[in-house]
Amino acid sequence: MSDFVLEGVDISRRYGGFTAIDTVSIALEPGEIRGLIGPNGAGKSTLMDALCGRGGGTTTGTVRCRGQDISTLSERARRKAGVARSFQKTNIFLDLSVREQIGLAGHMAENDNTDEVMEALGLAGFADRRAADISYGDQRRLDLALALVGRPSVLLLDEPAAGLSISESITLAKLLKELAASWKVTVLIVEHDMDVIFSISDRITVLHLGKILADGPGADIRANPEVVRAYLGTSVA
Amino acid sequence: MIQVINGLVYGSFLYLLAVGLVLIFGLRRVTNFAHGSLFMVGAYIAYAVAAYLGFWGGLVISVMVLAALGVLLDRFVFRPLAREDAVVTLLVTFGLLFVLEDAVRTIWGKDYLTVPPPPLLSGVIPMFGSTFPVYRLFVVAVALAVAAGLALWLRYSKVGLYVRAASVDPVTTGMQGVDTDRLSALVVAIGTGLAGLSGTIAGPLLALSPSMGAFIIIDCFVVVVTGGLSSFTGAFVAALLIGQVHNLGIVYVPELASMLPLAIMTLVLLLRPRGLAGAGR
Amino acid sequence: MSALPSTPATARRRVPAIAVVAFIVAVAAGLLVPAVVSSQLALTLMTQAVITAVLATGIGFLMRQCGLTSFGHAAFFGIAAYTVALNGKFGVLPTELAIIAAILLPAALAFVAGLGIVRMPALAFSMLTLAVAQAFYEIMLRWRELANGDDGMAVRLPSQLFGLDIETFQQPGSMFSVCWIVLVVTVAGLWLLSRSRFGLLTVAIRENEERARFIGYETVVPRALVYALSAAVAAVAGVLFVLYNAFVTPGTLYWSLSGEGIVMAVIGGAHAVWGPALGSVIFFLLKDAAGDLTEHWPAIIGATLIVVTVLVPRGISGLIIALFQKLKGGRR
Repeated sequence: MSDFVLEGVDISRRYGGFTAIDTVSIALEPGEIRGLIGPNGAGKSTLMDALCGRGGGTTTGTVRCRGQDISTLSERARRKAGVARSFQKTNIFLDLSVREQIGLAGHMAENDNTDEVMEALGLAGFADRRAADISYGDQRRLDLALALVGRPSVLLLDEPAAGLSISESITLAKLLKELAASWKVTVLIVEHDMDVIFSISDRITVLHLGKILADGPGADIRANPEVVRAYLGTSVA
Repeated sequence: MIQVINGLVYGSFLYLLAVGLVLIFGLRRVTNFAHGSLFMVGAYIAYAVAAYLGFWGGLVISVMVLAALGVLLDRFVFRPLAREDAVVTLLVTFGLLFVLEDAVRTIWGKDYLTVPPPPLLSGVIPMFGSTFPVYRLFVVAVALAVAAGLALWLRYSKVGLYVRAASVDPVTTGMQGVDTDRLSALVVAIGTGLAGLSGTIAGPLLALSPSMGAFIIIDCFVVVVTGGLSSFTGAFVAALLIGQVHNLGIVYVPELASMLPLAIMTLVLLLRPRGLAGAGR
Repeated sequence: MSALPSTPATARRRVPAIAVVAFIVAVAAGLLVPAVVSSQLALTLMTQAVITAVLATGIGFLMRQCGLTSFGHAAFFGIAAYTVALNGKFGVLPTELAIIAAILLPAALAFVAGLGIVRMPALAFSMLTLAVAQAFYEIMLRWRELANGDDGMAVRLPSQLFGLDIETFQQPGSMFSVCWIVLVVTVAGLWLLSRSRFGLLTVAIRENEERARFIGYETVVPRALVYALSAAVAAVAGVLFVLYNAFVTPGTLYWSLSGEGIVMAVIGGAHAVWGPALGSVIFFLLKDAAGDLTEHWPAIIGATLIVVTVLVPRGISGLIIALFQKLKGGRR
């Protein structure tokens, strides 16, 4: 019925009396890379949680993946439906080797492309090392690999470059853009580095105080006076 | 009716011990497996001192010695292991249980010992058409006094405020500049002091044996899990409930008595997976 | 849990030659020992050691795969022993079937209970398993009509079992070999399982339960299965115990037996599947060496437990593995 890969309609999430996001609607077109920005506490991670089915708070609204209503599915079932997620705080299996854990994630996906993903993300060289023993940058890419394996329809990336140096972030962003294009993965990405996010996103959504403030191509967002006042003006010189 | 009061007596013991577990769990998120053994050590110390200073002297000394042991326990076990997984502390205190039991067995032997109640409390009073030992009422009174005292302390003192805050969220409380280590020494001392107190007053009721601690810790665990691990009110309600069920079970269905507290616990956990008070992880 | 031949992980899962050699040597050693050791007393002690080693292996496997410390595995050990014993008394099933039931029953109990309790915080899990096991102990203690309470009951066994003479199971010489082979096969089987996808998955859940859900796995059933399996292993130990002794007491359900198993698993190091078995060997050697000090045996194991937990968290097997890796030049 719709051409959108992932669609959230009127999504709200409340924690007790606090409304973290309020009737937010977002729709991603196939192959699109969508940047999600906003000041701290704007509700970016909460929106991702609501879309991928992570628990916490009371959530209302509808989430659809390729037209299928997945609002009531568990995070596990949503992953099977094609919605994958990476985390702001590195969220891997420290005691398993790189290959073992990507293999586990790949096994659950329809097309297991563990080798391809390890190769593409530069993890193949130390596939048999324990995740606890590899560098932080490698752990970040491993986190990404766990989400990317099996070529999900949509990838929700919560600050994939958190804690990386500027050059590492740029390299990662380029890689991401290439992979998304060649594997036809739609991406929703939260990133604090404005240069990175504006350079890779096809379109940007701005959240502010739990509501959508603006939505459009990067150039329009940069020029939007409301966005500049609420957010960009303070962080982008 | 007499049976209900007997259940109240046992419940009172459980509360005095369980509250020590709850205090330390709230602050450090660990469980002291040796807590029952401290209760047992307290009982033996009171027994030994009572020979010279009488029951009340034994009570005071036992509480003081046990509180001091608590400070040591906090300094040399809980604090160094604070960064480790909680299971590490569990295993270490489990090891401690063996050591304490063996020490007591070596000093006092493994035969049952009995302690007479103090003369002041040794009589019986008529109740519900029969008689009831004054001493048992004394036990209930002590437990109620401790419960009320603790509740007031937690509610109105500054330290109590920290303890309550920490039992809800230890990390944030720690970050807000509360000196968890000092707080913890105090709180553990109170917990073990109470173990000494309940060990002392257990003397005239239960026969003393080195294994009495391991025996009672199991019911205590049932109490704290039922109560919700870090809740004082939960522990109070659960202790009275489990004490009651345990006692009635022994009177009416002795074969299956041990299953009843567990049945209660299972029921509570099915209805409220986080325990009666529903906090803590 | 069969591996797809095309997955890269299969290459790593090929069983190394050293493991096969170790397995064959271990089995052969078990058959040879009774021929070499003539002292009946030594054989008796060693048989007991091996039976407890099976129990410790079950406890350790749960620690390794799920990070959960069960203080109640004596319950599975004891339930298995009492199942065989009570079947002898009431004659419900042929003993062979009763033995199978004695292993399956604890496993089924553990699975059902596990669906509820593996989700609990690790501490609550430990406390609960202890309380539940103790409840079984009290039942056997107080229900005198059923199984003589504290006095224990003699177990009626047939003269032939699985085609072997019952003496095979009751003479220390032959029973040592039986128990030893059961132990070696158990360890080998669990070791293979730990390397399978199921084994990796449960470790992944132990490490990071949430992420395991986010890569698409259900996380409760696998843990309940590990719990059931470790209960079954404890039950196997209970069966060996009852065949060997032909006598059960409530002591088979008592918490101190669970405690011994934990101590062995910790000393040996549960991070290796074979660690707990090694731990029980060390445990019994220590006990033997303690000699006159055995009077203070509880204090010795208590102190050992404290020292090992704090100073050698991966146990003796961890030290051995670290040494081995150093010799091989720092590879994983």
